[in-house]
Amino acid sequence: MAKVVLKGVEKVYPNGFKAVHGIDLEVHDGEFMVLVGPSGCAKSTTLRMVAGLEEITSGTISIGDKVVNDVPPKDRGIAMVFQNYALYPHMTVYDNMAFSLKIKKTAKEIIKQKVIEAAKILDIENLLDRKPKELSGGQRQRVAVGRAIVRDPEVFLFDEPLSNLDAKLRVHMRVQLSQLHNKLKATMIYVTHDQVEAMTMGDRICVLNSGRIMQVDTPLNLYNYPANKFVAGFIGSPAMNLIEGELLKENNNIYVKIGGGKLKLSAGKAEKVQKHVGNKIWFGIRPEYISTRNWESKEEGIKGKIEVLEHMGNETFVYFKAGGQQFISRIDSVDSRVLESGNEHIFIFDMENCHIFDYDSEENISL
Amino acid sequence: MKNKRKSKTVLYIISILIAIVFLSPFYIVLTNSFKTQKGIFINVMDLPFGKYFDAFNYIDAFIELNFVKSFFNSLFITVASTSVIIIFASMAAWMLVRTKTKLSTFLFFLFAVAMLIPFQAVMLPLVNIMGKLGLLNPVGLVFMYLGFGSSLSIILYHGFIKNIPNELEEAAIIDGCNKFQVFWYIIFPLLKPITVTVSILNVMWIWNDFLLPQLVINRPEWQTIPLKMFYFFGQFSKKWDLALAGLVIAMIPIIIFYLIAQKHIIKGVTAGSIKS
Repeated sequence: MAKVVLKGVEKVYPNGFKAVHGIDLEVHDGEFMVLVGPSGCAKSTTLRMVAGLEEITSGTISIGDKVVNDVPPKDRGIAMVFQNYALYPHMTVYDNMAFSLKIKKTAKEIIKQKVIEAAKILDIENLLDRKPKELSGGQRQRVAVGRAIVRDPEVFLFDEPLSNLDAKLRVHMRVQLSQLHNKLKATMIYVTHDQVEAMTMGDRICVLNSGRIMQVDTPLNLYNYPANKFVAGFIGSPAMNLIEGELLKENNNIYVKIGGGKLKLSAGKAEKVQKHVGNKIWFGIRPEYISTRNWESKEEGIKGKIEVLEHMGNETFVYFKAGGQQFISRIDSVDSRVLESGNEHIFIFDMENCHIFDYDSEENISL
Repeated sequence: MKNKRKSKTVLYIISILIAIVFLSPFYIVLTNSFKTQKGIFINVMDLPFGKYFDAFNYIDAFIELNFVKSFFNSLFITVASTSVIIIFASMAAWMLVRTKTKLSTFLFFLFAVAMLIPFQAVMLPLVNIMGKLGLLNPVGLVFMYLGFGSSLSIILYHGFIKNIPNELEEAAIIDGCNKFQVFWYIIFPLLKPITVTVSILNVMWIWNDFLLPQLVINRPEWQTIPLKMFYFFGQFSKKWDLALAGLVIAMIPIIIFYLIAQKHIIKGVTAGSIKS
């Protein structure tokens, strides 16, 4: 296994379009790193550059301790699983899995042993004589993973491997891939646009936007301590409330003016943002930190008009408007029984868990 | 229900009529090939029975055509030409699809435009140049067929290759293939349905071609079946009995080839539909 290091990697296409703007990233040995971001954020391009399928314009990519900028894909010690499986349609599952070893002129007995070993891991031993068209989506995906395992690579690269599967199968395969990572202890780089996949599978997640890294951290750190407004809005479903507001100072306290009211910041947060007092800011708070309980307590709250209630069973999403601004709250279904669309209600904000982002740079200034 | 049955009957009648129109030349050729020359002229539609029956036409035609020799000449030229067309056209089409530059677009249109130039416009300069190069022989003929056959074949391959996902090639590159291995192990096997179509079109054309071999081949021992057939039609006499028997003999290999290849065409079409 090996670590992967990207240093100042840039990609400029011949038409002048700059897809990747100097990425610096270190994927540790044996780590499951997820590259996540919206369409066109260059996550696949980055992966393809690591694979050697896309040339880099500047910077260096190292696998292990070796710079691989000019090393052809086959010699990089990588294996890649593609979104559309990319199984060779005219070959059987066995031949698909054995192909890379046959090209390397490996002895037949070793090929057989490795293919069967990989097939056992993925539980596809009974499919070895079939052609890809005779397999279901999930089986094809497992064969694609098997083909990668047989190569015994230092780094596994996955390019949105589950996006062609239906929702149920995707959950199943997600678990299988995580189990596989635990079993193989291999370095894996996994590209997805699905934040649920990213959160559930990754040891660390690299959030990309417009060819730049927005943040690299563990799933929970990304969720709880987003470095900027983009990460805050991208990670989490429903997304974090991101509201335009202003910082005010009154009686030695710092308040956020939003939703037609003002909310007092905790002492810790206030200290961090005090030099921004008087500035416009983005106020961020996750839906679960806005509640309807204890509205008579001294916690910070604002009055809002409920527009829509979405009952999810165990919880309810409450869409409400306050001071012309749209908010969403995630509350326990039991608490939602007393709520009705069109009614006004006091919503309590847990200010310990809010975030303040600079209005222009959109960086989190409350961390 | 009644209307449905009626329209079905009408369809059957039309199909039978069309079949008769298409099969009647075969009937005429086959029946008359077993008749004497006189028998053919008395009634061309009659069945070959009685005193006009003559099965020896086939033996005579076989000998006069020097069939074994001319068959192998035809076979060599057809197989060699079709093979080089398939190999080079598929490779060229693959590169034209995968290389997205202005030059590749220009080259592709150049191939398309080349099909519009009539053969008669180029045949004399071609023979002149090939003569100077010492290529007025079966090998030169193969080379010429490659030139004339490439355009259509490249266009057919081009359309097919566009539908092959690029990821297959990328997977093969990661698996350790070089460009040639990607082509031979991955791309070429996937082209089977269109290769069958391309080979049928080219085999039919080259096997039956008369004009180009007539211009190029100047030795009797190199002559193909269509050239040999020409000798049944002299200036003053036409040996219809032998010519028709010869035609039947000449048709057999190509019909066998078509029947074998047709199966693959149907298979290819079905596999393609599943893939898409």
